[in-house]
Amino acid sequence: METVGPLAGLRVLEIGDFISVGYAGKLLADLGADVIKIEDPIDGDSVRGHGPFPDDIVHLEKSGLHLFLNTNKKSLTLDYMSVKGRQILDKLISHTDLIISNNTHQEIQDYSLDYASLSRNNPQLSVSSITVFGYDTPYRDWLGTALTATAASGAPTKIGHPEKAPLWLPYCAADFHGGVHGAIAALLALRMGKISGQGHHAWISTVEVIASYLNGSGVPHFVFNGGLASRDGTHRSGFYPWQVVPAADGYMEVITMVDDQWNRFTKLMGNPDWAKDERLRDRWTSFEWHEELDAYWHPWLKERTREELFEIFSEHRIPFQPVNRIDEVVASEHLETRDFWQTVEHPVMGTYTTLGAPYKFSETPWHIYRPAPLLGQHNQEILTNLVGLSEYEQQRLRDSGVIV
Amino acid sequence: MSMDTLGPLSGIRVLDHGHVWAGPLLGMSFKDMGAEVIKIQSPSGNSGVSMGGRGMPGTTAGGDVEELDPMGFHAFDRGKKSLTLNLQSPEGVEIYKRLVAKTDVIVENFSARVMPALGLAYEVLSEINPQIILASLSASGATEGPWRDLVTYGPSLAALYGIKSVLGYHDSEHPQEDQADLDPTAAGHAFFATLAALEARDRTGKGQHLDIAQGEASIQRIGEPIMDYLLTGRIAGPQGNRYPGMAPHGFYRCSGDDSWISISIRDEDEWTRLIEFCGDMVPAIKDERFSTLSDRLTFQDELDSILEGWTINYESWDLTRQLQKIRIPAYPVMGAIELAADENFNALNQSNLVMRNTTYSKDAIYRGVVWKLDDGWGEISGSLPKAGADNNDILIDLLGYDGNTVKDFEMRGVI
Repeated sequence: METVGPLAGLRVLEIGDFISVGYAGKLLADLGADVIKIEDPIDGDSVRGHGPFPDDIVHLEKSGLHLFLNTNKKSLTLDYMSVKGRQILDKLISHTDLIISNNTHQEIQDYSLDYASLSRNNPQLSVSSITVFGYDTPYRDWLGTALTATAASGAPTKIGHPEKAPLWLPYCAADFHGGVHGAIAALLALRMGKISGQGHHAWISTVEVIASYLNGSGVPHFVFNGGLASRDGTHRSGFYPWQVVPAADGYMEVITMVDDQWNRFTKLMGNPDWAKDERLRDRWTSFEWHEELDAYWHPWLKERTREELFEIFSEHRIPFQPVNRIDEVVASEHLETRDFWQTVEHPVMGTYTTLGAPYKFSETPWHIYRPAPLLGQHNQEILTNLVGLSEYEQQRLRDSGVIV
Repeated sequence: MSMDTLGPLSGIRVLDHGHVWAGPLLGMSFKDMGAEVIKIQSPSGNSGVSMGGRGMPGTTAGGDVEELDPMGFHAFDRGKKSLTLNLQSPEGVEIYKRLVAKTDVIVENFSARVMPALGLAYEVLSEINPQIILASLSASGATEGPWRDLVTYGPSLAALYGIKSVLGYHDSEHPQEDQADLDPTAAGHAFFATLAALEARDRTGKGQHLDIAQGEASIQRIGEPIMDYLLTGRIAGPQGNRYPGMAPHGFYRCSGDDSWISISIRDEDEWTRLIEFCGDMVPAIKDERFSTLSDRLTFQDELDSILEGWTINYESWDLTRQLQKIRIPAYPVMGAIELAADENFNALNQSNLVMRNTTYSKDAIYRGVVWKLDDGWGEISGSLPKAGADNNDILIDLLGYDGNTVKDFEMRGVI
């Protein structure tokens, strides 16, 4: 099917494993790029074995993470670390605009996956490398998962209870962040290529990406303005209130920096005497007494359901919102109205529902053209049309395990 | 201009209506990659500069106690030009429209009602300049829906979209407060989308409107528990530091005050290397209960406490080096001060740029640029603009107004 997304006509190879490169590939593919995902011939990308699975039964085509991350991609199984596999990769590269990868530095060295080697026969090729610790930095050889990257970024210092372990950003958020910025680096390299007439190499470090997010303007702010503060658990110091507060049936996020919003809140509670407490006059210092101050108003929330509170706060333009559970988000009327959820036909799953667009383009829409591919589903198409291999040659590759 | 001074976004002009965090960060991303970014501010105040509150008191690089926040949110405006313009006045709107004709990208993170209310809906802008790309970063999107006009902050939006429901300890339902990373997550997706729209424009000659709901960009990263619910009906709650499919996977206490190491084991090879390394010191870890991944996930409480009984004897960096030597993913959980001294981190050039901050007449340290291009792009330039610093250049040189008209605009508060 002809794509109409903003990146239509762009051919991309996705090389590597798991979430970071997979999410970068998804961002490109869902905007119309022709993304060929190169997978291990036996088990495929490890997201396929990861799950979650219907009925918790492991099945390489039914992993939820795979069904979500690999929409719109083609799958080519290829052992590109073998000599024959590399020849095929090189032929494919001559038809490719962009490679995104998250190979480790060890793999890059052992299998000549550096930019100069990849682009040898295609000087127009651009490459975006997603790394944990950086491409040319002292610890580039070190291994890291999303947990490692989160730890190294400094982000957990402010999350969690002071007497318990600090917390990571759950569900490998670090890999998603790395994927977004790897995809940005890819488009920047392509633009650079248009200016200079030849391909470019760009890279990001996931550790650095997350460190740059740290509240405020990244590390400098974090280090010099409040870097010494500890974790505050369900609260956050800085200004008051900024916390997760129990309601009758769950939790509310209560945060405001704006005096008018805070005053509307206390007015809503009937302008009680405590609202005139001296210690609330300057809410940038109130946190110090938060236990006492919380006691004034927490019971009021505890007596009401999140739905009641959300309605009242929304009506009075107060930015306190419910902590929705996953099932409540999926059922949300707002996301329904926005046509967020996508139903996809899949040869093994029948149909499945997955997340929708992170953004809406008015002219060249984000779109799901096809489901996540079966393992090696596009081998024949790619090897015949792009690599130019005969059916006999393809059979020999299958026999020797280079493809499946 | 020689080739090596051109960046990936050289020649692109951006109007930046960003305020608070996500918007200004998006504008800064363009500037860092070579675009000309004009920050549009109201002549009457400093709208768009900062969080609106005061900076957090703290000790600056120079050791002074500082109340302003030159390194904080203001720093997102580094290198931008500043135009003060009263968009409530017809003449202000007229000037703005002339500027739109010479602009590639407009960035705004107002609530969805604001641009149309100013008479500057996408339809109006594209009439003036069909090539214009309008990137609108609202909380919950520009189209109809019950959450469209909410007053919200990043942390409350993270609550609303379910992101906060999985942040906390596995033995308690009470979510913990987050690191406030929704704004930069949204800004990252918005930058990617706008770059893609520029690609489309190169091909078609047409601009477009990007409706970027910060919640919808950010919810992607909890795709896994959402798929879990959609496929199995399970509703994930707080997970602590655990993750399906990996065990051990956590932060473990080391010697010293509040010191921790991250250890994550992805497969049986890594597990074998770990128990070969520490099995003699902690025989309990060789227990049959931990021999397969599914067993380790089942008995994770016991496993974690055995492992922590071992890590507590080590200094976090010392153990990190030993574990990385045997190819196990590990790193200390960095605090701010350690991060500033981290050899690898400093090699990434993230935090070592001191520049003149003209607003506060003092030096400030800015965050670096995360996208590295092999030919040197990825370094920051420019300082913070004073409000209206570029009014004359923009009105006279770019838009062709004469000096007297500009003086008159100034006197009447149009600029």
